[in-house]
Order: sequence, then structure tokens, then C-alpha cells
Amino acid sequence: MFSYIFMKILESRPKSYDRLINKASRGRVLSVKQAVAAELITTDRVLDIGCGTGELAVMLAAQGVCVDGFDINSKMIEIARERIMTENLESAFTVRHMGVEGMDSLATSIYDGVVSTLVFSEFSDDERRFAYKHAVRVLKPNGLIVIADEVVPRKTINKLFHTIIRVPMLLTTFLISRTTTRPLSNLSEELAAAGFTIEKETRSHGDSFAIVVGRLTQEKQT
Amino acid sequence: MNPFKLIWGLFFRLFPCPIRTGLRRVGNPGRQSPVLVTCNFYITARRLNRKLGGMDVWLLIADSRGVNVWCAAGGEEFNTHSVVSAIKTSGIQDLVNHRNLILSPLSAPGVRAKEVQKQTGWSIRWGPVRIEDIPAYLKNNQHRTEEMKRVTYNWRERLDTAIGSLFPFYFVGAIGFLIFAQHLLLHYLVVSAATFFFFMLGCPWFPGQSGLTKVIVLEAILAIVLVVGEIYMAPNTFPARAELIIAMVMLFIYGSELGGLAPTLPSDLDPFLAKLGIGAVGNVAFAGTVRTELLNGLRELTYYREKCVSCRSCVEVCPQGCWAFDDEKHAVLTKKEKCTACRACIVQCEGEAIKAEPKGIGSME
Repeated sequence: MFSYIFMKILESRPKSYDRLINKASRGRVLSVKQAVAAELITTDRVLDIGCGTGELAVMLAAQGVCVDGFDINSKMIEIARERIMTENLESAFTVRHMGVEGMDSLATSIYDGVVSTLVFSEFSDDERRFAYKHAVRVLKPNGLIVIADEVVPRKTINKLFHTIIRVPMLLTTFLISRTTTRPLSNLSEELAAAGFTIEKETRSHGDSFAIVVGRLTQEKQT
Repeated sequence: MNPFKLIWGLFFRLFPCPIRTGLRRVGNPGRQSPVLVTCNFYITARRLNRKLGGMDVWLLIADSRGVNVWCAAGGEEFNTHSVVSAIKTSGIQDLVNHRNLILSPLSAPGVRAKEVQKQTGWSIRWGPVRIEDIPAYLKNNQHRTEEMKRVTYNWRERLDTAIGSLFPFYFVGAIGFLIFAQHLLLHYLVVSAATFFFFMLGCPWFPGQSGLTKVIVLEAILAIVLVVGEIYMAPNTFPARAELIIAMVMLFIYGSELGGLAPTLPSDLDPFLAKLGIGAVGNVAFAGTVRTELLNGLRELTYYREKCVSCRSCVEVCPQGCWAFDDEKHAVLTKKEKCTACRACIVQCEGEAIKAEPKGIGSME
């Protein structure tokens, strides 16, 4: 699973991104997206933060969910648009080229779900806070948020193992792509502080990967 | 101070040295205090912080992937999105009454002022090029002198950029000698360092306009010395043969990317790699970029006078002072020979009068 570190290199090759990231992770990224899609089975309309090439959105569309996605990577968005055309998803999947800061332009209380996979670990602290704030705003009452991302393991022994395995991969990625990701240390706590009730946190891959499901149960302060 | 980041940022500048993005208070800033925006490269933020000592300023660190302003803006890693994201997510709009940002004009190739204003309502004022001039600029009611607008490449700047960018080559070479030719390691360390200082300190006076031509001239001189030594001395008695070869190799390495280090010169290496068909190394692109196509002559700078809206952006952001205004308040490219193809004028032109178009299409009136 550590191979998702390499996604920063693969992002410069959007046409083969999905194929290569799934190959590098031996299908694990795909299974993570399938698990995330399963959490959103009851929703009608979902916002996909950092939708990339739209692989998750296509899975959600197959479940009958309408997806609005956005991504800062214009080449990824091009691939997503091609996918919409070739798979006739015009009514189920729309995409926008924008960064997280564009979330303030989205309408209030229109989504049943907000989802993001392997994106929050790329955000700065300010960007994460901004994303939580606007996720709360765009969600309907009782809306779901599902975030799947790299996290810091809770136990010291796992943390040590995670660091030892991760550092060489991180350095390789950093030297090639000049950027990297940062595992989240308090994902559930941050979501709870933003106003979500944590319903489920599934840890995997040596405690270093989490799928967190939160529900917006509090009254929204708008 | 973070000693690891200080060493990494000073000696391994080819690689990013990022710091946390977001808003910093310098002194005790209030609602009228100026807002400076810079990159999240450790060394830049540290130097800026030190120079701003005693002043009350908001410092907004925007994402440049840990690269300095000039390189990150040139590579579009420090861009409109970085600044818009920093403004919107930092909460600065709730802390000041004004809506003015001060940015280095070196960020102009990446950060489009008009687009930032459209997306956020914040105006960009181009500040001084050099960090050293910022205190004087702020004290002087945010007025820039002509010197503050233009890049320089004095001996301090040459050593600073060169040590940061060329040290990894020196270091890798030392490891190579340590493994394969230990008896020459000391020779390598001394000759290579001497070559480095000789070239970087003396480069303005060596013949030739670009780093590559300067190197060719010096290499030719060294080659003549080597050949003459080999011919006129008994076999294997020429005393400085290894040292000369080391100097020639290191000269080529140092000189071939002088243009990439110097803000006053166009890059030699990037267009050369693009010509060789090397599109990118990692995420750093060469082929297909406007800059390399301008440098390789595939595109040329074109100016449509009728589209000029007299915004003066080209005059304000060109770090080389290539643009001027005529009596009819239209832009004129007066110093084309100094253009380094940084694209700042193209990106900032409000009327889209300045473009980089395939050769033969546009006009340069």
C-alpha cells in the first residue's frame, strides 16, 4: 500500500495514471475506492474532492449516484471528461477544474455525500480546515463524509515500521517529482471538530491507511 | 531555526525545501498592515523574516512546492492557484481592512494578477525584486525605485545560487572519486572547488553571452594547454594532466547551466534538453513549454499594438527592463536582446497584446 506514495510521480502521466497506480499498489487502490463507493450506496448526489480521472465517480455512477467532481490537475480533468464522453455519463458525472479553494463557490446544502480519496494528505493545514468547513456547508443535514487517506499509525511499533518502509519511497518520489504526501495524524479528530459524528474508522495496511466515515448530525451554523 | 532545512536549502537547492504554508505574523501587524506573499521555500521565508525584523507585516506563505519564487514561478509551481488558495484558506480577509497583496515581480511568470483579483478581489502590487530592498520599499510608502524593479547577479548572488545548485554535483563527484580513484580525491576536491570559484566569480568577464559560450572558450584554452603539454613533454610526465581533465569536466557542468542559475541570462540547458527530445525529468518539463519554445526559436514574442490597454504590466514586471512606454502610452520592446523568455510580460498583459506565437504569425511593432 505504500506504493501510493508513487502517485505523485504518476500524476504527471494522467493517461496511464489509473492503470499504473493500480499496478503499483497491486490493485489495492482500486479496492480502497470500491470500499469507499460501498459507503455511499445510500446517497443520491456526491461531491468528489480531487476526483482525478474519475475512477471513483464511475463506480458511484454505476450505483446510481450523481457525482460532481473537481480537481486541480487539468490533465486529470481532461481524462475524466473523455471518460464521461466515452462512457455516456453526462447526466451522472460532472467535473470542474478547480482547487479546494474553489469550494466556496459551491451551493449550500445540495449534497448527500462528500468523498475524497488520497487527497487530504496533500493539503496544507489551512486547506484541510477550509475543506471541512465547506463540506459542512454543502452537505444536507445527515449528509455523509467519507475520507480515505494515508494516516499516521497509532501504535509506536507500527509508526516505526511505517517510517522505516516509507522513507526510501518518500525520498525516491521527492527526488523525482519534487513533492510528496504527508500522512494525516488526526483525521477523525479533525472531522469531529468540524461538526461530524464519526460513524466508522477502518484502518488497514499496518494501521497506516484509514477510511473514515462521518455524518453531519449537528445543526448547521450558516 | 531548523539546521537540517538550513543546510538542505543552502546546499541542495536543486531539490525543494518546503515549509508549512499559511499566514505568519511579523511583529505586531494590525488591520492596515501590509500583506506580503512569498513562496514556501525555507531559505526565502527565513531571509524575508530576518529582513522584516522590527516591522509589522502579515506574511502569507503560499505553496510553491518548496521551491524559490523565481524557479517555482518559471515552472508554474508558484502560480495563481497557490496565491488564491493562500488568500482564501488562511483567513487573511478577516484580519485586514484593505485588499492589497505585495508580491515579488519574480513571481509574475506564474501568478496572474488579473486572475487573482477576479477570483478573490485582492489586488497585487509588485514589490522589489530583492528581499534586501523590502524594508526600504515599505518605509517609502510602497514606492519602488528603478533599481528595485530589476534583477542583478552580483558576486554574492552568483555564489549563493551556485553553491545551492552546484554543490550536489561536487558532492556526487567526491563520492565517485572516493569509490573509484581514492588517490585523486584530494586533487578533485581542490581543483573542482577552485574551478567553481574561478568560474562563478569571473563569469561576467569571460567572453561570450551565454554560460555555454563562456565555457566553450575556457574549455578551448584548457584543451590547448593539455595538448601542448602532451606534445612537448615526455610521455606521462605532464604534471597536471588529471587536474586539467577534472577542471574541464567540472567547468562544463558549472557552465552549462549558468543561464538556469542567473536571472539575467536565458537558460542553455532546458532548450538543449528539449532539442534532444527529453521532454521532462520527473515533474520538471522541458519540451513543449512556451519558455523553451521561445528559446529554441519555435515561437517568438509578438505584440499587438491595437490590443494594448496601457496597463503598464509589462514595464512593471519585466525583471530585465526590456519594455518601455512610448508617447502614445503603448508598450515598446526596447531591449529585446536582454529578454530571457521568462514570460512575465505575456502572463500579466491585461489586453493580451503580448503573446508567444509560432514563428512568422505575429508582429513586433
